[in-house]
Amino acid sequence: MRLSFPYMGPTIVYAKLFELLGHDVVMPPKPNKEIIDLGVKYSPEFACFPFKVITGIYLKLMDKNLDALVTSGGHGPCRAGYYGEVHKKILQDLGYDVEIIVIDSPRDDYKYFYEIVKRLKGDSSWLKVAKVIKTVYELTRAMDQIEKKIEILRAYNDQGTINRIWIKAQEEFHQIQTTAEVKEIKNKYLNKLSEFEGSIPAENERLKIGIIGEIYVVLEKSINNQVEEKVNQFGFEVERSQYLADWIRENAFPFIGKDLEEIEKKGEEFIEIEIGGHAQGNIGHAIDFKQKGFDGIIHLKPFGCLPELVSQSVMDDLSEKYEIPVLSITIDEQTADANVLTRVEAFLDMIREKKYREVM
Amino acid sequence: MNNLYLGVDIGSVSINIVAIDEENELIFKLYTRNSGNPIELVKEGLTKFKEEIELDDYKISGVGVTGSGRQLIAYVLGADTVKNEITAHARASTYYHPEAGTIFEIGGQDSKLIIVEDGIAVDFAMNTVCAAGTGSFLDHQAERLGVPIEEFGELALEADRDVRIAGRCTVFAESDMISKQQYGFTKPEIINGLSEALVRNYMNNLVRNRVLKGEYIFQGGVAANIGIKAAFEEEIGAEVIVPEHHGVMGAIGIAMLAKRDVKRSGQESSFRGFDLTKQEFETTSFECEDCANNCEVIKVIADGKIIAITGDRCGKWTASLIGDSAVPAESSSEKEENMAAKTSAAPNEDFNKKAEELEVDLYKIDPEKEQQVMRELEELEEKEEELEDSDSDEKEDSVYV
Repeated sequence: MRLSFPYMGPTIVYAKLFELLGHDVVMPPKPNKEIIDLGVKYSPEFACFPFKVITGIYLKLMDKNLDALVTSGGHGPCRAGYYGEVHKKILQDLGYDVEIIVIDSPRDDYKYFYEIVKRLKGDSSWLKVAKVIKTVYELTRAMDQIEKKIEILRAYNDQGTINRIWIKAQEEFHQIQTTAEVKEIKNKYLNKLSEFEGSIPAENERLKIGIIGEIYVVLEKSINNQVEEKVNQFGFEVERSQYLADWIRENAFPFIGKDLEEIEKKGEEFIEIEIGGHAQGNIGHAIDFKQKGFDGIIHLKPFGCLPELVSQSVMDDLSEKYEIPVLSITIDEQTADANVLTRVEAFLDMIREKKYREVM
Repeated sequence: MNNLYLGVDIGSVSINIVAIDEENELIFKLYTRNSGNPIELVKEGLTKFKEEIELDDYKISGVGVTGSGRQLIAYVLGADTVKNEITAHARASTYYHPEAGTIFEIGGQDSKLIIVEDGIAVDFAMNTVCAAGTGSFLDHQAERLGVPIEEFGELALEADRDVRIAGRCTVFAESDMISKQQYGFTKPEIINGLSEALVRNYMNNLVRNRVLKGEYIFQGGVAANIGIKAAFEEEIGAEVIVPEHHGVMGAIGIAMLAKRDVKRSGQESSFRGFDLTKQEFETTSFECEDCANNCEVIKVIADGKIIAITGDRCGKWTASLIGDSAVPAESSSEKEENMAAKTSAAPNEDFNKKAEELEVDLYKIDPEKEQQVMRELEELEEKEEELEDSDSDEKEDSVYV
């Protein structure tokens, strides 16, 4: 099948998954001003921001002669659950006939998941599928591991140098075919980054920010105003609540260990029930960040996102109880870069001054 | 020769330039309206500075720039410190009023709330999607009513009756205002109503459920408006202090921060000198298409010579400007890369292990779950095969629709 998918985070992983299964993969365009404008124009006004961006990406892909678009569903009351259907309708209304295949979490419905996988696997044998998933999983893990290093080292080194290494690593990962190659490239880049290890100061001088929020705006830098790089720029390390592995775990890989579940469970203190999206899990991560000694939380929330609106409303209580500063940033097509920069900078200044005083 | 520190605040509505000495005494102060060409206005401001100050007696030892237009002007001036306006305002405010607990700052297009404890900012809020409750809102209404903005505040105090005006949206406020005029409310009453609407908006959007503590400081351009000051005092039921130099507090704050930074680093100021008032500045931008990031790269040019390049995430263009010093760095990293490629066969296990030990392994596979899922998938497949054997037509139907 000739297919494509929404752009989110390092897209290599999804591309690899389908490519290794023998599909003809069309790389989706990275969200930019034009795509966002297109998406905003053809989406319902009240839809959340990620929906609009994805609409734009789909529309941009329409002249590529695709058989299908593969996307993930949501679970719980989050609106992501009907993205697929609404997108299909929008595309149909505009006269495009393309199938949208929604991968729902295997945890919700094995039978349905099985049908989807069966379709996507095409002529590959089940053994091959198992192998592909294993390779892609290793790839995700390798990329996450490198990105986590990048997010630390970028705080203490020239941003351009570190960014270049990351760009190169992604290019090389794009070429892999086997698990062995993944390991080789991973080690090569971890080695390369280890040369910068010396720049990391003593533990008590390190300042760390945890980024939490809706998965799309947390993972996709082109729409979140590169908030990670902005934080790094001021000498703060960053860690996110979400990495690519989360997407893989939810959508393709149902047998992950319990550690993450335990972190996410901590969120029950503030949001008792699962309200969709990653709201509860995010709160859990915020508490976990505090327990790991982080200095502040930046909470990214797409405009119109219901679960994150709920988590924003409990942030005040969380911030007070756990004594950790929280900055909530709403992201939509109107967000100006200068505005985000001002907020982030003032927030980080505040944390630095506070820490400085505590040491004195 | 005495040291002077320049502070420049490039706001959306005004451009302020101040100079302070070692004792933080204000030596020069200039508040001008930003008519849309910040570089020209800064040049004019510096020319005025040259006329007023005996340059022979002083030395510019540090320059700080703040405000929403800070990046560009920082390159033009060769600033030592470039910081956001929230930090700058808090700094100046806590210097003049060490007991400050709450700072209300209302500027041209944004309003801020800063909570201070023992002289340092501990919390802040800033208006987001909307400019209701800022100076521009008042500006607009003043124009509509034909009242000069300078007289706006005093008029508000002459009001006899209260009138409630919708203050969320500038345009709707206007229609509400017109309808209230028809009811026979006087100009002062309407202006008073607008002032209250602005403060109400500020309270709803920024203060929200925060508990405010004294002293209350009110600064920014709008602090000149005694009507708003009165409305704030009524809302919180306490005295609100307007600092003497309320309009230029951001510039004073950034000058202080520049002084601190220069002293800490012990280096000479990178100020480009007063000759810059005679230079021609120009900015151009282009979209770099070398990778998927498509960065918007900005070049700042002074008299035909590029003085700054910014916006590229990989640092390639920025490095090209530094020229000679960047070349060896580039080639050495290239060499490292080759070496790393050669040594990649012998991975640095130690380093890898450390990274994994540091955190919980989120990637661990739960064997029980794996078995369970595999079992269920196998069962499904078996069923599917049985179906396939018994009737091949039926299989077509069971394919996902």
